[in-house]
This record gives sequence, structure tokens and C-alpha cells, in this order.
Amino acid sequence: MSRLILLVIVVGLISGCEKKVKPLPIFGQREVVNGDTVYHHIAKYQFVDQDSAIITNDTFKDQIYVADFFFTSCRTICPIMKTQMLRVYESTAELPDVKLLSHTIDPEYDTVALLHDFARKLGVSSDRWHFVTGAKDSIYKIAQTSYFATAMEDKSEPDGFIHSGAFLLIDKQQRLRGKYDGTKEEDVNRLLVDIKRLRKEYE
Amino acid sequence: MSIVYWLTSSGLEKNMNRFLLLLFLLAIASCSPGNSSGDSVKYQQYFVQGEQLYNTHCSNCHQKSGKGLGLLYPPLDESDYMTNNLSSVICLIKYGKSGELIVNGKQYNQVMPGVPILTDLEIAEIATYIYNSWTHDEGLIEVAEVTKVLQQCEGED
Repeated sequence: MSRLILLVIVVGLISGCEKKVKPLPIFGQREVVNGDTVYHHIAKYQFVDQDSAIITNDTFKDQIYVADFFFTSCRTICPIMKTQMLRVYESTAELPDVKLLSHTIDPEYDTVALLHDFARKLGVSSDRWHFVTGAKDSIYKIAQTSYFATAMEDKSEPDGFIHSGAFLLIDKQQRLRGKYDGTKEEDVNRLLVDIKRLRKEYE
Repeated sequence: MSIVYWLTSSGLEKNMNRFLLLLFLLAIASCSPGNSSGDSVKYQQYFVQGEQLYNTHCSNCHQKSGKGLGLLYPPLDESDYMTNNLSSVICLIKYGKSGELIVNGKQYNQVMPGVPILTDLEIAEIATYIYNSWTHDEGLIEVAEVTKVLQQCEGED
């Protein structure tokens, strides 16, 4: 009898494995409008990148992108995040539809010139990795309401800000499809796998 | 809470690992011919403590691998600046450094914040760790030497 149960479990497991890979979750609230499901998506934005180019939602039209929030003078988690984001940058080099978007949460200090210098020192190109600045309130608002990431000023913190080290995976319909800890190598490995999974949805 | 932590297997395992690591290091220390100071156990203690302090205060930017990050944070694994400027390195660990810095012919210019809370002993431990990791092999950096150097740091307060 126990053997039979074991057999059933094993067969169940094997057939479970053969199923199609589950699509990535779609984060946020959804509502049904006229019979169609409308998902949470990234709100309209307009920022300026390290080359003074205007960056809007249209910049990432038909693109998958990974977003994060940082500032250049941060000495706590940001250097780790940038090391990990650089890994993402390097491992997606051959993927024409994958881009990166880093928002500064200290736009008063992180000017376009400074972001330009930062990107140059990191050795990355602006056509694949945009470092953007803009109105502080707009950046904080989009972080919290669109990307579900923490970003705000806090004078009691050592660097003057609190922010999460999250990397956010956005699909071609501007929907949030994954959230990863950008300070943890294993979690960023998961992101790299998920980028491939997400690209498969569009094949 | 901490009692629960100590009782959990992962806690025990962690301590066991640390204990084994210490044993291992002691074993190496007792076998190695000994460095210039002739005090290998002390060297190993400094090295182990130094590694922990390095991971707390330095590795965010300079990386555990010592490779730094682009032209933002200079490497430590291979660094002519470190080799030629032990005194400056001791000073900048405590007091930080700003302005241009040339490492292996490349120009860096990112402010490095110091860690003024570090004691002379802790700086000696960090120095011993970084000066004996990767490509470096300088032996023990004595706390007396660090104390002497720190009294002479220039304009970095």
C-alpha cells in the first residue's frame, strides 16, 4: 500500500515537472474594465539621463527593463547594488530588448554632469543603462506608487536617505513582474533567470 | 532570542564552522615558517579579525575580492599605491581621503569616508588583512607601527 502511495507521488512529481514553466507574477492591483483585466503599470514619467536625454515611458517601448533607486554619494548598500547591477548589465549585453534604469533619489546633489561622470567611471553605455534625475517628489512618488520601492529623505539616517536595495523587473507592457534584493548575489541570479523567462513570453 | 539562536542548528553550525576555521588557521600557523615578526599566532589573529572588519567597513565599495568597482573605487588586490604608501593607507582608513588618487596608472577621484571610530589595533588588523591578501604578502602590521603613523597623518582630520 505504502509503495502505491509512493508511486503516485513520484508520478505526480514527474508530471508536475513536465508542465509549462509558470509565467512570472504580475504585481499590484488589477481591475476588470469592459471584460478586460487591467493590470497595475508604471505611471507616466519624464526624467533626464546622464546624456541630458529626456527619458519617458516611451524610451522603454517594446523593452524589458530593470529599475532601481540609488544615489552616488551613498556608501552603504548602493556600491553593492551597483556591483550587482553591473552584473546584470554585463550578462544582458547580447539582449537588445533589455535595458537598465537607475533613478537617483538625491537629485539636488546628483546632477546630470555627476551622473554622467558616475556612468563613465562605471564604464557603462547610456544606450543600455540610463541614470536619471528629475524632480525629487516625482522620483519618490513613482518609486513608492509604481515600483513599490521605498525611497525618501530621512535626516536621521547616516547618508540622509532611506531606500530599499530592490531591483524591479518591468515587462514590455510596463507591468511590474519581479522584485529582487539588489544587495544579494543569489537574488540577482534569480533576476537573471527571470529576465530569460520573461523574454520567452514574447517569443 | 539569542538563546534560541544559539540552540538552532544553523547557529551551532556557524560556530562550529568558525571553530574549525580557527583550528585550520592555527594549524597553518603552527606549520608555516613564520613571518618577519616570528609571531604567527598573533598574525593569524590579526588576519582573521582584519577580514571581519574589512567586510564590515571596506568591502561594500572595494569588494570582498578586493577588485574595487570600475573607476569609482580603486582595487586593493593589485595596487601599486598600497605597496608604495603603507603610511598613507593607514591614515586614510581612519581619516578618509578626497581628491585625485592614481592607482596602477588610473585616476580615481571619489571621496572615501574615513572610519574614525576604529582603534589603532583594529586598523592594524585591517592593514594586516589587506596587506596579506590577494597579491600582497607583507606580513604582520604591528599596532605600535600604526599608532606611530597615525600621530603623523597630515591634514586628514
